[in-house]
Amino acid sequence: MTADTLPTTDPGSIRRPNEELPQKIGQLSPSWIAFFIAMSVITAVGIYAYLLQINNGLIVTGLRGLGSMAGATWGLYVAYYVYFIGVSFAGITVAALIRIFRIEKLEPVARIGELLTVVSLILGALAIMADLEHPWRAIVNLFQYGRPQSPFFGTFTMVIAGYLFASLVYLYVTSRRDAAILAEHDSRFKGLYRILAAGYTDTREQRRTDRQVTFWLAITILPMLVIAHSTVGFVFGLQTGRPGWFGALQAPGFVVLAGVSGIGNLIMLAAIVRSATRTKGRITLDAFAWLGKLLLGLLITYLYFTAVEILTITYQPGATELNLSEALLEGTYAWIFWGAIVALVAAAALLTWQALTRRWSITVVFATGVLVNIGAVAKRYLIVVPSQTHGQLLPYSTGTYTPNWVEWAIIIGLFALGALMIGAFMKIFPIVPLEETDSP
Amino acid sequence: MAKYAMAVDLSRCQGCRACMEACKIENNTPQGVFWMYVFRTESGEYPNTKVDFLPRPCQQCNNPPCVKVCPVGARFQRDDGIVLTDYDRCIGCRYCEVACPYGVNYYNWRKPEEAFADYNVDYKDPDIAAATGGLIPPYKNPALDRLQGTEQRLTAGSAHNVGVMEKCTFCVQRVDKGLDPACVDVCPVHALHFGDIEDANSPISQYVNRQTGFKLLEELGTDPSVFYLNGTPPGSDTREIERPLTEVGS
Amino acid sequence: MTEITRRTFVKVSAAAAGTTAVASKFLFGGLETVQHTDSLLLAQQLQEDTVNTTCWIGKQDCGIVATRLDGRVIKLEGLEAHPKNRGTLCPKGTAQIGAVYDPQRVKTPLIRTNAKGQTGEFRAASWNEALDLIAAKTKPVLEENPKLFLWQKGRSKAKAFYDKAFVKATGATKLGHGAYCSDAGYRAAEYNLGPKGVIHPDFKETRYLLSWGWNITAAGGNKTCWITWPQQMLDAKEKNGLKIVQIDPRLRPAGPHADEWLPIKPATDMAFALALCRELIQLDYLDKPYLKKHTNSPYLVGPDGLFLRADVPADAEEGTVGKALVFDLATGGTAPFDEAEDPALTGAYVIDDVTVKPSFQLFIEHVEGYTPEWAADICGTTAERIRHIAEEFGRQAQIGSTKVVDGVEIPYRPVGIMAYHMAQQELGFQALRAMITVAMLVGAPGAVGGQLVDFTWKISSSYDKYENLAVNEGPYDYTLGKSKFFPINSGLPGMLAKVMQDPQKYEVEELPKIVMLHYVNPIPSFASTKDFLDTYGMFEFVSVLTPWLSETADYFADVVLPTATMEKYEGPSSASDQYIDGKTIRLPVMDPLFESRGEIEIYIDLCERLGVLYGEGGYIEQVNKNLPLKDEFALPLDKKPDVRDIFDRWSRMEGLEGGIEYFEKNGVWIKGPVPATKRYGYATEIPFGGAVHRLYGESLLVAQNKQKELGADEVYWRDYTALPTWRTPTMEASPSEYDLYLLSYKLIEQKQMRTSMIPLLTELSGKQRLDINPETAASHGLKEGDDVVVESHNAVTGETRQVRTVVALSSAIRPDTVGMPHHFGGWSPKNNKGLGPSSNELYYTGEGYVTCTADQSFHVKVRVLKG
Ligand SMILES: Nc1nc2c(c(=O)[nH]1)N[C@H]1C(S)=C(S)[C@@H](COP(=O)(O)OP(=O)(O)OC[C@H]3O[C@@H](n4cnc5c(=O)[nH]c(N)nc54)[C@H](O)[C@@H]3O)O[C@H]1N2
Ligand SMILES: Nc1nc2c(c(=O)[nH]1)N[C@H]1C(S)=C(S)[C@@H](COP(=O)(O)OP(=O)(O)OC[C@H]3O[C@@H](n4cnc5c(=O)[nH]c(N)nc54)[C@H](O)[C@@H]3O)O[C@H]1N2
Ligand code: SF4
Ligand code: SF4
Ligand code: SF4
Ligand code: SF4
Ligand code: SF4
Ligand SMILES: [Mo]
Repeated sequence: MTADTLPTTDPGSIRRPNEELPQKIGQLSPSWIAFFIAMSVITAVGIYAYLLQINNGLIVTGLRGLGSMAGATWGLYVAYYVYFIGVSFAGITVAALIRIFRIEKLEPVARIGELLTVVSLILGALAIMADLEHPWRAIVNLFQYGRPQSPFFGTFTMVIAGYLFASLVYLYVTSRRDAAILAEHDSRFKGLYRILAAGYTDTREQRRTDRQVTFWLAITILPMLVIAHSTVGFVFGLQTGRPGWFGALQAPGFVVLAGVSGIGNLIMLAAIVRSATRTKGRITLDAFAWLGKLLLGLLITYLYFTAVEILTITYQPGATELNLSEALLEGTYAWIFWGAIVALVAAAALLTWQALTRRWSITVVFATGVLVNIGAVAKRYLIVVPSQTHGQLLPYSTGTYTPNWVEWAIIIGLFALGALMIGAFMKIFPIVPLEETDSP
Repeated sequence: MAKYAMAVDLSRCQGCRACMEACKIENNTPQGVFWMYVFRTESGEYPNTKVDFLPRPCQQCNNPPCVKVCPVGARFQRDDGIVLTDYDRCIGCRYCEVACPYGVNYYNWRKPEEAFADYNVDYKDPDIAAATGGLIPPYKNPALDRLQGTEQRLTAGSAHNVGVMEKCTFCVQRVDKGLDPACVDVCPVHALHFGDIEDANSPISQYVNRQTGFKLLEELGTDPSVFYLNGTPPGSDTREIERPLTEVGS
Repeated sequence: MTEITRRTFVKVSAAAAGTTAVASKFLFGGLETVQHTDSLLLAQQLQEDTVNTTCWIGKQDCGIVATRLDGRVIKLEGLEAHPKNRGTLCPKGTAQIGAVYDPQRVKTPLIRTNAKGQTGEFRAASWNEALDLIAAKTKPVLEENPKLFLWQKGRSKAKAFYDKAFVKATGATKLGHGAYCSDAGYRAAEYNLGPKGVIHPDFKETRYLLSWGWNITAAGGNKTCWITWPQQMLDAKEKNGLKIVQIDPRLRPAGPHADEWLPIKPATDMAFALALCRELIQLDYLDKPYLKKHTNSPYLVGPDGLFLRADVPADAEEGTVGKALVFDLATGGTAPFDEAEDPALTGAYVIDDVTVKPSFQLFIEHVEGYTPEWAADICGTTAERIRHIAEEFGRQAQIGSTKVVDGVEIPYRPVGIMAYHMAQQELGFQALRAMITVAMLVGAPGAVGGQLVDFTWKISSSYDKYENLAVNEGPYDYTLGKSKFFPINSGLPGMLAKVMQDPQKYEVEELPKIVMLHYVNPIPSFASTKDFLDTYGMFEFVSVLTPWLSETADYFADVVLPTATMEKYEGPSSASDQYIDGKTIRLPVMDPLFESRGEIEIYIDLCERLGVLYGEGGYIEQVNKNLPLKDEFALPLDKKPDVRDIFDRWSRMEGLEGGIEYFEKNGVWIKGPVPATKRYGYATEIPFGGAVHRLYGESLLVAQNKQKELGADEVYWRDYTALPTWRTPTMEASPSEYDLYLLSYKLIEQKQMRTSMIPLLTELSGKQRLDINPETAASHGLKEGDDVVVESHNAVTGETRQVRTVVALSSAIRPDTVGMPHHFGGWSPKNNKGLGPSSNELYYTGEGYVTCTADQSFHVKVRVLKG
């Protein structure tokens, strides 16, 4: 199955079908089956928890009113919503880097990134839906009465609608060629590939337009990305009434942390894909090194923001800010806060060490991916929750919030659902774009 | 057009919480929900201690962050200044709640028939139901479920359906009938005043003009319609005491 | 079985409903609306009306307008015309709607089926069966000795005509709640001044008020329940610049309304008052004309401590004593007190070779040692502060000034004291006398802006009785009335419990056999819980009239009779705010729920069964006497009365056209302003109703002598002194590890124990807690919300008691004092449970913890341990 043995069809250059689809597509090994079953079970538990919530109201969660009820009204769902939206940063960034800066090394992970974007956007949307008692009413009313002035509306339309749509288009456009190749195989998915390929034959002309389309898509999505992540930041940053939220750094901070979590996730996923598919050779150590450096850059920027943040909250804060910063730095939330800082600093240290020694290890880069994501989840939680429990401007008693099993079940269910989606994708479509050499 | 405002005379308030109770019963609000909330606080150290009371309805801001953030326009402000929630439109995102600096919003965490569960009283008891028609709470006033005002939106509400946001309505159902809000009406020491602040001759305008006062968190630019007279805003060492039971569903 | 089916049904239908909800959300996108179509329809057809009535919770019967939809009460609001509440309500007034619809109410008469002294098991009974049973158990006792039928009453409401009639008609022995409230204070005011009440200021005119343990923002003080005086206090602040000095271990009662807070050490108020007296004398802030004319200050006292008296004319009745003599400075000789021109207040005079001194001279000498420095130490304050308060009080009194009110010129003394539960301390009776003396020195009693006692200056019948205190030889009746133990006796149920435990000790031969409890719940409400738990089982038969199964009923009732809440007639009650006079009647807001009934009806039926309803001396005649109903308005003695008709007759007799309809229409009958000539003692027809104010308590000393003579122990006679005399309270003898004073107080959201099952109120007031100063907490290793064990110690018996509660830090309480609000410790209605213990589980009753007048003290020494 080398290129030269295959006759070329006219006028395009798609290769002849092969007996076996690449990258183990369509093959279900026992461990894959176990994986799917496990993820389905976890997802089902999440769905059960959600039904419980829909049936009884959000009372079944650990959420409660802020203020006199001394709870947090936004909790895990919103924290993970912000996190998931952040992760979506990855695909587009990488794609844009490849297209705009022509960083070919990253080409093999481009689709992973794009998929990550789409999946995490969907998960983000589901997380916010999980937060709503009346999801359907929300969708209908958002269409019917949506108010662009609301930052929330912005995140909904921009992020869910625009961003997701653009990402899907992007993913699709960059996948057509592979679909066309696969459509030539005799496989269960042949029909699907045909539809996806939609007459694509990989002519020079088609390739050129594709390149152009993806380039311009990248160019347009890039600001969208910044805007989208900024709007998520605005959800918090525009609230003068929430100590710890209001601030100009909120939006850029969101964008950068989005990058950190997104790239971190991409690294992890790429490493997993690399060992789960026969593509070791394609996703090179170089790619990881590149991503590692990118992550390091973002991480350092973010740590700088965090330093500024700590300085601001400890330097002559008002009473409420003091209360809040005490809770963060030495009180209830200190273990999460310092845990996050340790994770992020450790990741930065590992990356720096590798960069300086120029000795990159996939395992170590993977570890930094894990670390920064722990840090990112923690930081998302810390932006959402403490301001509600410890940041009241009137003399309400200090609040508490502990996410309960329902919330965790739903969030873990979402991760499982994401894993299912990515897994399913991998079993249906090449997660790593087919090699350039696969076509003339 | 009238512009409604409330004045709270802190030099009269006894912190008795009758206003909280009257609000609860007038508006049939569920357990743990205090559209009106009265802070009892201490500041200073013994023996130079200060004890203060601070009633807190919705501040009915004229530049209300809660209205700004509502993604669907369920939170809106009427011409007369009253900020209301359209329960038919609210999607329960709770953005208004986090955006409001005053902590006045209350989400319906439970279904109405469960909303009084921790009261530990069985209102479904057949003998009680015989007297109340099975309504929960037994003093429920179904007339509140009518659409309110010229805007004809569902804003008063006795149903308290799960998953929508609520807060003090300035007793829209009473104000529209020319009555004072329930909390103002009940206050045993006449610490609360209500009326048209735009009319310079209204009792409230005169009352407000005669005294010195402040508005809560004025510096945030929310421009509240609630005036606090003859007192001082809570300071940095103000500590809440005697917190009511606000836990639900535990 | 049916229960299970119902539950299963509920579950199944809930599941079904749930599924439908989810389905409709996702499949049909049903935009669930909050409108309830059925309730909307309901609303359109509903008939709205209002009923006038009065508050049934508190003790001042505030006017209420109840709004009803189709006869179902949905809201209670204040009645505008009622002088006491002027269109407003307190949280309890509003929330009593929750009590009306409480499914935990007793719905039918209940008869006990298990042994007493444990959680009760009852079966439902008909009214006939229940009343027959009570009658059958009561009749033999009435035949044997009606006094052995104990009728016990708590903080009942409205005019006590129907219950008094029951006691009179049956001949039962009555025991009230007052000894737990403020009876010692009543006794002091009756003794020193005459009118019935404790002491309160003339709010309209006063400018300087010692709020002496007045729980301003939460409770009543003397006479009222709450709203009236806070309103008047605020108006006085705004209009007259009234200054408030809160003398209280806690600041919270006065909150922001205190101009000064004097955190006094508990149970030391007498020392403070005595030091104020001394300072007023030093500063010569004395209203001498008043002291000379209206008090016994000039009466000459011999070395035996008794007054020097004129000879009794030969033709006088037996037992008559001669008039007390004074030294007339105008003549230089003695003269009967009412004949002297210029009686001496000070000095020493030798009459018939005996040196005698005016009482006032003795008083001066008595307080000489009670210096501010001395008191500062005892009261935990500084001498400067005591001096400062004395100086302000004296100066503000404007001695010598007068004011014209209602055309009458009356002395003007705009200073006063509000002290009610100061009576609840071991030295309560004498402490109150000392406080009253403070007011007397500046001539404030009965003056404009000064010290008032009741809303009108009417002399109580006790005033005369106290001239000669009966101290008899045993055996005594079980209330210890007229005994050598308590020559003045408020009737403390806790003492009865002590007597029941050891009758010999108290020289009592006959104990009560059966008891009926009316509006009272001693176990959690009264000190001490344990004594009641130990003794109520000794009654042969216990019947309880109550709307809920009270804790006492739960453990000890043989029969429970369900009474209505607001759905009944009661009254008439005073609607006076002390300036405007009026009357009101509680009218049923609807028919009694379930099978409950109003008390009046119940007593009528019960009396019929006991054969004491009709005819002379029967219940009906007693109602006529006590309400009263006179002439053509009197109830016929041979016809079973109708409750509405009773009030109708009364209203007509009072000249109200339409009778009871007047109240149905207006809610309150305003009689008009209380004239100055009724309010101010100086201005009554005979000033002060002719009563001579007893600065010097000669009869107390006489009683003490008799007590000693009869061999009473020192604990019983030591406080029967002519002048209030400080001694260290008994509790101070507890070992030093009991390092804190425990006090208790009211919360604005609760009324004793009778509201604690209303969840609307508990929601506002929270659960039991221990107020503790942060400094103290820190030194005991405690922080907010910590579980603690509070252990009290009985300094007399060495007994200890414990309860568990949680820490509530407060910088507004003395560091050596902890506080626990009343209202908790119930268990019987299910949402009473889990709110925490009653402080009455920690208090002790009996010697060392009651006053010399048999009134309860609410102080004990405790220690606080980590729980
Ligand atoms: N909300 C409410 N109102 C009520 C009632 C109720 O239960 N709830 N009950 C009604 C009844 S029956 C009554 S009798 C009245 C009572 O009315 P108050 O007498 O005004 O009320 P209490 O709360 O009993 O007052 C006790 C006060 O005395 C203080 N204190 C305790 N020990 C000492 C001491 O040794 N020295 C001094 N100086 N102060 C001390 C306490 O801190 C507290 O402030 O209230 C009536 N009104
Ligand atoms: N620790 C502590 N103890 C105190 C006090 C304190 O401050 N601290 N305060 C004291 C004072 S001031 C007082 S006045 C006493 C009061 O003591 P109580 O008079 O015993 O007052 P409650 O606890 O309200 O008990 C009244 C009982 O009457 C019954 N009841 C209620 N409504 C009705 C009705 O309509 N009809 C009938 N028939 N029964 C009814 C209920 O069973 C209720 O439990 O408590 C005293 N106890
Ligand atoms: S009812 Fe009046 S006095 Fe009582 S807390 Fe409310 S505002 Fe204050
Ligand atoms: S107080 Fe809060 S809820 Fe009320 S109008 Fe202002 S921002 Fe909105
Ligand atoms: S909870 Fe309802 S009212 Fe509040 S912002 Fe969301 S949709 Fe608007
Ligand atoms: S105005 Fe009405 S809704 Fe608002 S706090 Fe007062 S009683 Fe409650
Ligand atoms: S003050 Fe007393 S009588 Fe008046 S409403 Fe309140 S509880 Fe009732
Ligand atoms: Mo009392």
